[in-house]
Amino acid sequence: MQSLSNIGVIALNTFRESVRDKILYNIFFLAIGLAFFSILLGEWSVFDRAHVIKSTTLSIMSISGLLISVFVGISLVQKEIQGRTVLTLLSKPISRAAFIVGKYLGLLAVVAVHLSLLTLVYYGILWLTNSNPTVDLLQAIYLVFCEMAIVVAVALLFSSFSTPVLSALFTLGVYIAGHLSDQLLEQVRFVRRMGEVEGTQSVIMEKTAIFVHAIFPGLYRFNISGYVVHQVALPHFYLLWNTLYALGYIAVFLTIASWWFSRRDFL
Amino acid sequence: MIQIESLQKTYRSGFLMIPKVALKGVDIHVPQGMIYGFIGPNGAGKSTTIKVLTGLLRKDSGKVLVNGFSPSDVKSRRSLGYSPEQPYFYDYLTGRELLTFYGRLVGLWGAELNSRISWALSMVNADKDWIDRRLRTYSKGMMQRVGLAQAILGKPELLILDEPMTGLDPMGRRDLREAILSLNKEGVTIFYSSHLLSDVESISHRVAMIVDGRVVREGTVDEITASCGVEYHVRTLETLPLADLPEGVLSAGHPQEWICKDGMARDRFLSFCLKSGISIERMDHQRPSLEDILTQEIVRAES
Repeated sequence: MQSLSNIGVIALNTFRESVRDKILYNIFFLAIGLAFFSILLGEWSVFDRAHVIKSTTLSIMSISGLLISVFVGISLVQKEIQGRTVLTLLSKPISRAAFIVGKYLGLLAVVAVHLSLLTLVYYGILWLTNSNPTVDLLQAIYLVFCEMAIVVAVALLFSSFSTPVLSALFTLGVYIAGHLSDQLLEQVRFVRRMGEVEGTQSVIMEKTAIFVHAIFPGLYRFNISGYVVHQVALPHFYLLWNTLYALGYIAVFLTIASWWFSRRDFL
Repeated sequence: MIQIESLQKTYRSGFLMIPKVALKGVDIHVPQGMIYGFIGPNGAGKSTTIKVLTGLLRKDSGKVLVNGFSPSDVKSRRSLGYSPEQPYFYDYLTGRELLTFYGRLVGLWGAELNSRISWALSMVNADKDWIDRRLRTYSKGMMQRVGLAQAILGKPELLILDEPMTGLDPMGRRDLREAILSLNKEGVTIFYSSHLLSDVESISHRVAMIVDGRVVREGTVDEITASCGVEYHVRTLETLPLADLPEGVLSAGHPQEWICKDGMARDRFLSFCLKSGISIERMDHQRPSLEDILTQEIVRAES
């Protein structure tokens, strides 16, 4: 019980610390600026204006969430270590796992508030431009949040043992791999079927693509803007299965981060 | 309270992970209710030992128990307060907000938390206006006081302080000494490191001296200084010729002042004076200070 309470206290402090970070506001206002810019994109585009605004704004949500995870998230643990505040904190009766989970939840709360505010702006823009602001768009936003929940866990995992610059690069790498792993596998299989690559080389290529697809979180699953923009029904239990999928990856990443962090010495 | 046996710790640094042995088999036992001073030169292993005790560093080998538990076990820290050397805190918080944060981490909420914060602040003489200012405006002395206040918030049975006197002015040092004595009267066991040997001598029940990763002396201040020999300084009423002095007696630089190197030399000198009809004006014994002994041990370790 005390452990849960400690996680909450650390999460709240992390939230308070993060909302003081000027980078957060830069990202937030950039996202709002880009969301308004999507109105112009809609006007210029040959496609339906509402579709362009909806898909662009959902992408902005995902990318701004990524930027918060990278620029705010990866420095959270490093700040504690470099600022030596970790010495006093970890001398209290809290486990290192509770510290990691508290940090994670604090940053996730920041991302949640960011996405919530962007959602209000998003619906405001749709309403202003008469772009059919339907409730099912919330499903897409919810999955962006799930995606960010994984990305935050990845950022925290890398920052538990690496420098901020390397952590940022690794996190971006996982984000890109997570979005492209499905396409990579499809492309490799297509190339193999067409016989453009043969023999051992094609087997190695396919095995590599399968490995990348299996090991990296499939972040492409959380991008359903095509469904909601075109108002196509999602498969049954899509949200539930992908929520469980995200929770599974988060649990694995946080467990590894906690294990790694618990092995660290603090000088 | 604290049990350390054959503790060893090696740091590895740089790309080649070059090892540096920080602790070479440290043995310390701190019973309940004691003020235990831990002294040694810079780099001797004081902070390393303290960080192993608080679970911030992992030991290589040896046995370490804090409150009956291994430092890697959260239970060892349930009744532990710790203030690091040069405490660093979240500088965007005020002193009071910081104490509220740490208080919640030790399970204090609501009215109990507020009254405990008031108690801790009064204990370290920090119940002043500045406690509601942001920590980034604090002086070193204020930070040390807040550091000690956060350490005692949970009313720990064991308090570990790493160089608590650093950065304090004479008033601050006096306040801290009084706070340590007062907490000890309430039953708190205190283990602290310090460079200020006069403070250590004045308040510690026992002292451990660490040099080059090894505990070289351990005991009460009297035991440690007595084990290094006692000199007797004698002043006679009359002058004495240097040539007649008994063995082990030296001139102290004045024709009526003499130094007897040990008890035997003292006895020889007294019988000599008695036989020669020389009156003794004053005699006192002088032990080496902790500083003298520490300096000797450092020289010995370096040689």
